[in-house]
Amino acid sequence: MTRALLSLLLVLLPLRAVAGLPEIVRATVQQHVLVRVDGFAAAAADLAAVSASTCDPEDSGLREAYHTAFDAWIAMSHLRFGPTEVADRAFAIAFWPDSRGATPKALAALIAGDDAALTDPRAFRDVSVAARGLYALEYLLFDDALRQQGKDTTRCALMRAITYDVAANGAAIAADWHDDYAAKLIDPGADGPYQSDEEAAQELFKALGSGLQFTADARLGRPMGTFEKPRPNRAESRRSGRSLRNVTLSLTAARDLAEDLAAENRELVARLVSAFDAALMAARRLDDPTLANVMTPQGRIRVEALQTQVNKIRAIVAEDLGPQLGVAAGFNALDGD
Amino acid sequence: MKSVLLATTLLTFGLGSAAMATTKAEVLTFYADIAQATYSDSLAAARTLQTAVQTLVSDPTGANLQAARAAWIAAREPYQQSEVFRFGNPIVDDWEGKVNSWPLDEGLIDYVDAAYGGPTDENDFAVLNVIANPSFALSGKTIDAELITPELLADTLHEADGIEANVATGYHAIEFLLWGQDLNGHGTGAGERPATDFARNETCTGGNCDRRAQYLMAATELLVRDLEWMAAQWRDGGQGRNAVTADEDAGIVAMLTGMGSLSYGELAGERMRLGLMLNDPEEEQDCFSDNTHNSHYFDGLGIRNVYLGSYTRPDGSVLSGASLADLVTETDPALDAEMQARLSQTMQALGAIKSEAEAGFAYDQMLERGNEKGEKLIMGGVNALVDQAKTIERVVTVLGLDNIAFEGSESLDNPDAVFQ
Repeated sequence: MTRALLSLLLVLLPLRAVAGLPEIVRATVQQHVLVRVDGFAAAAADLAAVSASTCDPEDSGLREAYHTAFDAWIAMSHLRFGPTEVADRAFAIAFWPDSRGATPKALAALIAGDDAALTDPRAFRDVSVAARGLYALEYLLFDDALRQQGKDTTRCALMRAITYDVAANGAAIAADWHDDYAAKLIDPGADGPYQSDEEAAQELFKALGSGLQFTADARLGRPMGTFEKPRPNRAESRRSGRSLRNVTLSLTAARDLAEDLAAENRELVARLVSAFDAALMAARRLDDPTLANVMTPQGRIRVEALQTQVNKIRAIVAEDLGPQLGVAAGFNALDGD
Repeated sequence: MKSVLLATTLLTFGLGSAAMATTKAEVLTFYADIAQATYSDSLAAARTLQTAVQTLVSDPTGANLQAARAAWIAAREPYQQSEVFRFGNPIVDDWEGKVNSWPLDEGLIDYVDAAYGGPTDENDFAVLNVIANPSFALSGKTIDAELITPELLADTLHEADGIEANVATGYHAIEFLLWGQDLNGHGTGAGERPATDFARNETCTGGNCDRRAQYLMAATELLVRDLEWMAAQWRDGGQGRNAVTADEDAGIVAMLTGMGSLSYGELAGERMRLGLMLNDPEEEQDCFSDNTHNSHYFDGLGIRNVYLGSYTRPDGSVLSGASLADLVTETDPALDAEMQARLSQTMQALGAIKSEAEAGFAYDQMLERGNEKGEKLIMGGVNALVDQAKTIERVVTVLGLDNIAFEGSESLDNPDAVFQ
């Protein structure tokens, strides 16, 4: 019954402007953000193309395209502001965690009703986000029960509707970044969403903090459950065996962003990199793709150790990187229940 | 013309100078005063609800059921305005789950429609139905539920098996008992539980009417007790009051954290945008009673109360005093104007949802797939709340709340707790 409290706490030194802040923002947008949104747009387009050629869930090309697109999504999944939040694009690409079990229910309803939205991309955009995106696609490719529901042609149409929708959202996010959103961060001003370099830097800093928080609390914390009652079924994309892979990819992306943001301070960069390396090492040692070992006390302790490593990174980010940039943690979407 | 402008400027400046006298200590003391009044009013309204529930149970007529429902809706008004105290104050946040948990798997409590389904991947006890079962197994133990008491609900049934959706206590458990499931989907109408569900003779419907009455009485008693405890925490010497007044900067941060987290992650995100994205008629906070429009509205009002240092009590009297608005005006009058404008926009947007719902366009209809008017209304509220959170961040910056030690972040101190 608890939540990320007081995430706002740590606040800045407003008078100590960082000399290179505009340069840090510019470099981060160009080297970190644009590369990732372009990468996802390309991988999602490829997935839609493969899906148009086959509906066989066992097809190795289709599964490979799914994994490639999922990898590319995880690499940018912390960039949850601006273009990803228009028209619920990010939720429609990645609806997870699903604590209400809405995805299998919504998919079953669409399949049973042979919904007209399956053959109309425009109408499909109005479908519940629980039945859209990569996590819904995972059910169609990997869940035995879902793969037997309804007619082959219906599931095939649904798969194509989902991959087309994901590709359209990926393309729209990348287009918005290139059209004007990158400029809004790089050249902040009174008429844009960011009024100063500090506010632009704060957005990127918040993305780093909330991305790490999501990995610690959701990707690792959800399957961990409590010591008495671990919850392996809550592991992210466990059906396609990606749970640990997502943790590793998200940490790798966060390390890249942290290095960009800390660029001016070599000592801080070194400390961040060493904390990330320790966490990535702990992840490699787990050797537990679906995090199913949380069921055993030994296995759970090892996942908890990894979570502790991630929380150490978060502490450095909050206590040292924030003040270095002169920005506050601010609010994020994970505040609340 | 010029002299009028000049006079206005001088007047504004004069007021600004007067506001300079406002200290953080005064603002925090008045914040605790509003909290005390809001919880006291919530308690009084819960006692009125308890009386109505007692009348219903002793004489289960349709009129008495309607009266109890009206008392429940009235009780939500002050309580929702207290939610702004939740996220900044650990004492409230740790307690809140007892009284306002949502969403719930209501099959834990009583009978449900067949379409509700059975146990889920997430919850083995989604259809436990304690009202029909005086004895059941829970986590390897046999539970004696022959008597349904406040203690049974609070200590055994609430969050049974560590599942948050097992909500056995609080406003929404009571709401479910007064209304029953809303089976109208995206259509008009709330839950339609008949008063005879509480009849203790052969006219009893739904089975186990005496146990249902016991449950309702126990849950209402518990709500009153929990609110008594919280109201006491804000009196002189109470823990809640002491915590916010102990360290001035940390206290102001607590105020702003409560405003920002409720605006953004909780109300705009979890309670409004998510429901819209899922098109699920049960994704509305007061789903049995169709009172969600009011719950959102009074949440928004509570946020504004804290900023303006003003709270209108259910009897119409107004408490007003030293406020965050005074502090911000002193440092940056333009930012105060921005903050006040954002708060007004939010109240207009939430007010539009409320008046549409009262005119017959229910919140669950607004959530329906492809309902453009509903989407526009709800997103109007979401966008206003998101904008408001952005300005709250600016307030934090302008008030120069620096040099605060990093402490009290539950997500860092106790990561296990965050997603449970």
